[in-house]
This record gives sequence, structure tokens and C-alpha cells, in this order.
Amino acid sequence: MPITTTRRRLLAGSAAALALPAFARAQGAVKPRLTAISQWSAGSDGAAITALGKKFEEKGGVWQHSPVPGFTTEMMNKLRAQIIAGDPPACSQLKGPEIAAWSKIAPTVDLDAVVAAAGYEKVVAPDLAKLHKPGGKWIALPLQIYSTNMLFLSRRAMDKAKADKVPVTWADFNDLAEKMKASGVTFPVANGGTRADDGQKFEASLAGISPTAYRAAIMNLDKKALEGPEIKAAFAQVRKITNWMDPNVGAQPYATNLKRFVDGDMGMMIMGGWAQGVLRNAGFKFDDFMIAPGPSDNGKPVFLLNADAFIFWQRKEPDLQAGQALMAQLVMDPAIQTMYSQITGSIPVRTDVDLSGEGWSDGQRRTAAALKDAVANNQAVLSLAHNMAQENGLTAAMIDVFTEYVKNKTITPDQAVTRLAEAVEGAR
Amino acid sequence: MRDRSFVPSRILIYLSVSLIAVAYLAPLVVVVLNSLRTNEEIAQGSMIGWPQHLAWSNYAKAWSGFCVAETCAGIRPYMLNSALVTIPATIFSTLLGAVAGYAVSLWRFRGDNWIYGIVTLGLFLPQQMRLLPWTIVLRDTGLINTLTGLVLIHTIQGLSFTTLFCRNYYIAIPHELIRAARIDGAGFFRIFWRIILPLSAPILIVTVIWQFTHIWNEFLYGVTFTTGQQQPVTAALIALSAAIADIPQHGVQSAAVIIAALPTLLIYLLGGRYFVRGLTAGAVK
Repeated sequence: MPITTTRRRLLAGSAAALALPAFARAQGAVKPRLTAISQWSAGSDGAAITALGKKFEEKGGVWQHSPVPGFTTEMMNKLRAQIIAGDPPACSQLKGPEIAAWSKIAPTVDLDAVVAAAGYEKVVAPDLAKLHKPGGKWIALPLQIYSTNMLFLSRRAMDKAKADKVPVTWADFNDLAEKMKASGVTFPVANGGTRADDGQKFEASLAGISPTAYRAAIMNLDKKALEGPEIKAAFAQVRKITNWMDPNVGAQPYATNLKRFVDGDMGMMIMGGWAQGVLRNAGFKFDDFMIAPGPSDNGKPVFLLNADAFIFWQRKEPDLQAGQALMAQLVMDPAIQTMYSQITGSIPVRTDVDLSGEGWSDGQRRTAAALKDAVANNQAVLSLAHNMAQENGLTAAMIDVFTEYVKNKTITPDQAVTRLAEAVEGAR
Repeated sequence: MRDRSFVPSRILIYLSVSLIAVAYLAPLVVVVLNSLRTNEEIAQGSMIGWPQHLAWSNYAKAWSGFCVAETCAGIRPYMLNSALVTIPATIFSTLLGAVAGYAVSLWRFRGDNWIYGIVTLGLFLPQQMRLLPWTIVLRDTGLINTLTGLVLIHTIQGLSFTTLFCRNYYIAIPHELIRAARIDGAGFFRIFWRIILPLSAPILIVTVIWQFTHIWNEFLYGVTFTTGQQQPVTAALIALSAAIADIPQHGVQSAAVIIAALPTLLIYLLGGRYFVRGLTAGAVK
């Protein structure tokens, strides 16, 4: 059949171009289809990606999402298996520096044209944008943002301490903790015992003390900065925090202690913005707690970025390519980002989305405002504890040091600085 | 007639055994209790506590309600997938292991110990190390993302264990028995079928229990080499528990864990008394 052959040839030609006009042509001719893998399978994460899939189908696409339950390792095993089998997904969830690392394993799609057409680059935090264009070309798109250093204050603990001012600097934080301790709050700092939890304590401390030192030491692994006075000060702050925590948490997630936090048995919690959704899902009210940006010694908000993203893998099939183009457009769309963040409790990647309307919580508005301020003051940095600052191996080596430091109070800040520098040296 | 002097030591033994049993069963008790508590109750109270109202709905939700991404069918379809992998893989690996164990123990040939050694070496290779080779095998056979692929993996990996145990069991069988049968004209498979297999019940029960439990509980291959609706039950359980941005669903999780553990529990209850007997029988040599 000559007609089919011509059409196919046309599609193949447009596929090879891999640019926006080609995408559009392919889209017109075939039904866009998307194979995607992610680790989002349950809870609000699962609900959000399902909603995204529905939007994809509304636009006439075929949505084929296979969740890989578990943690990042499982998903990476699956991704590796699919790549080796010559059948990579059209797009998959991946984040942080792993995007650059994985892009060397298999060919990715050049999204520059689509991104330029959407004018997306202007509305994304610069450090975040850099992660998604290793080698200068956009190959992945961020989807949603969390801050890992939001400060949650228990209303009852505040009442006990007769405090009403939200701490701005670490000195304020320490004063408030002492006050809480003196007025009968058993543990002024609420905590869990997971590795990420321990890592967050350190990154919040260092970034709050000096975002510049954080960028140099943690993100750029500058040797001098790694042994600098700010690192020691951060470890000293973490030690204060650990003395206010409940040591008997084992490896429980922070969520296990939410009831004690709300009751005022624990006072303050340094946690990602997602904790707000968790508190609400557990049946607690907005009146039970307050949310503010994490302590920052220069008074301006510091934002530790954690962002989820999709990476796009090269496929030859025209319908998959059309699906990739459609998916890219959807992920960058302010309406879609709004829908997604309202389900998960994150904030949109785009800094130009208006959060004043209905459907947004006060915590989300504060987080978004903090991001805007932080970007303006160059104080938005990448979270280490949530795999945004370094590749997996280095992150693991550094978090080993933090976890041990949090759990073993005989280690001094001086020793910890040496250990951290050694861990970095060893893992490089 | 029991000697009276035994009584104090008996009491001591029972006391310590009971204490150990309590320590071992405590986590199970927590899981059973939590499977009957609502999530709100657990989140607002403590992980450990009596149910205020019996929330049987947790079981309904675990069995056929909760969602894994776009599919809200509970644990049920994944239980079926696990059964479709576990049952054939257990049968194949047990039978093949029995034949292999029989061959290396009773039909001595040049290099038999080497072959036995190489086969059992598989026990010492970590799972992660075998992941890539299996990926390549499944790619080349076209079995990636199929349950058949998983059956193949578990059958072959299971051979290391089943061969080891059957060989150690069969080596206690007198060679005269085999020689007599050969004089009567019986061949390799006839001897296996008529003489060896009827003697094998204890060891086969051990391997069946072992294989069934391991394959049923296996997660890494199950999640890497299947996709979407074909995933095994372990993947569904993790899906239920790994959401970082959510309050842990302890109630439904507990119920799902109990349901998912039932098949292995059943196998133990049916064959458990042979288990230790078979293990020690194999260990005599």
C-alpha cells in the first residue's frame, strides 16, 4: 500500500529531526503514546501521577505508566534493565545529578526547542535548571519542588513556652528551644531516625548559617570550604539540636512522632514541606501548627531545593515521540503544575504561578514566597539529604558521617569536620 | 513415671522458652493489632495499642481496595501473580534439584564433585551481582517483563539449593541398593522414579518449603523484571509502604502483610514437622 508507506516515511523523517516542528507534525499524524516509569504508586504521589495521566489521555494520548514500587534503587534497577534490553521508557522519573550520570548511559531527547517555545527557562530557579541540562541541552524537566528545611512549630508547645514569635535565625531557634525546655516541653525538637532525617538536620544548619559555604562545600566539594569554620559551626548547631531530640526513635520515620509534636510534647520540627500534607492527612488541623522557612542567620530565607523531574529517553517510534512532546508540554504547563502540587502539597517549579487562589495552603504560599526570595538573593541551594546536590555514592558517604554524628554524641564538631572531609575524599 | 528431680529444670526450660516465644511473637502481635486499627487512631495515638473499634475495613481495603498508581484492585491480582511464579518455579526447581542431587551422589562420574561444587556456588553469589547477567539473558530470550521469565530465573537459581540438599540426603542411601537395581536392569530414571523418589519425602518437603518461601518473598527480581499489572505481591506491599510524602498507612499495611504471609504460613503448617527432620537428615553426612 503506497499511501501507508509514504505516511510512514514522512513520520520517520519527522522523527529523525527531533525538533518542535517535527513533534507537531508527528502529533498530528499519530496518536501520542507515552511509556513512563516512576516510583510513585501510592498515596498522594500515586494520585497526582494518575491525575497527570488523565490529562494526557484527555489530550488524546495513550498513557502507559508502570510504577516501580520501592525506593530509588529499585527504580534504577528497572531503568537499567529496560535500557540494556533496548527498550527504555519514553520518559522516567529521575532527579538531581543522577540525570547527568544516567544521560551518559543511553541517548536522551534534546528538549531545547520545546523548552524555548514554552519560555520555560526564565521561570525556573537557575541552579535547578542547570541540573536538567547537563551538557547545555535540556534533557529532563522538573515537575514539582519541595523545600527540605521548613520549620514546623507546635502551637501547644509555643503556648507552653508563652512564645509567639517565629524564630528567624539559629540564635532565635536556640533561645526558643531553651524556653520550651524550661517550660516543660520534653523534647523541643521533633525528629525521626531515618538517614534523610539526619541529613536534613545538617543541611538545614549549614545552609542557615551560610548558603555560600553550603554551595562551596556541599555542592561544589571545595576542599577549603569543607574544612572551613562554617562546617564546624553547623556541626555544633546539629549537636545542640540532637540534645533537644528524643534519642529513642530507632529508624522510625518522623511521621511516627507527629502526635507528640501536636500535643506539645515535642516543639519544633525541621522537615520538608510535604509534612504539611501528612499532618493534614493524619487528621490534625491547621491551628495545631505553624509553618515558616527554616532558620537563616542573615534573615533572608534559605531554600533547600528538592525537585522531582522526568528524563526523556530517545525512541524511534513516532507515537512515542509524539507522546514525549505532549508530555513535555504538559509538565511545563502552569495549570498542570498547579494541579500536581495541589495534590501532593509541593509547590510548582514555575516561579510565575499565582498561589493566592483557592486550593493552596498557607504553608505552600510561604514556601513559594521563600523560594522567590531565596532565588532573588541567590540563597536557593540543592538538598544533599534528598539526592539533589551529589550523586548517590557521594551522598551516601556524607550522610554516613551525619547519621553517626547525630546518633553518637561523643563525636566532637572538630572530629566531624575531619570525618566529613575524609568521607568526601574517599568517595570521589 | 517421671523423676521428680526433673521438675525444677523443666519449669526453667518452659519459662525461658515462653519468654523467647513472647519476644519473637511481639512484633506479630503489634501487626495483628494494627491491622484492626484505623489510620487516624494509629497516627493520633501510638504505634502500639489496643484497637478501639475493630476496623475490619483494613482487610477489605488491603485485599481489593488500595491503589497502586492507576489501578485500585488491592493486593488480590498481585497475589495471583506471585502464585503463578512461585508454584511452577518451586515444582521445577525441586524436581530438577532432586534429579541433579541423585546424579551427583549416586551415579559417580568424572568431575561430579566439580559440577556439584559449581552448582552450589550459586548460593554464595549476591542477588545484585546476578541482576545484569539475568537482564541480558531475559533480553535475548525475549522473556523480559513476563512471568515466565521470573519462573525461569527462580527455577535456575533454586537449583543451587535444591541440589545441595538432595545430594546430601541421597548420599546416605546405600550404593548396594542402586547396584542391585542396575543388575535387575533398571536405568537412571527408572531407579530415580521407583527407588529414590519414594524415599525422598522428607527432603522434598524441606526444599518445597524453602523454595516456596524464598520465591514468594523475593522482591528485587520481581520488581525489576516485571511491569505494571504483572508485579508480584512483594512489590504491591512496598508500594503501600514506601510513600515518603504520606502518613504511613499502618492499618492497611498490617492487614496486607498478614494476607500476603498466609500462603507461606500455610505451607509451613502443612509441612513444618518434616522441616527440621529433613534438614537434620540431610546434615548427618
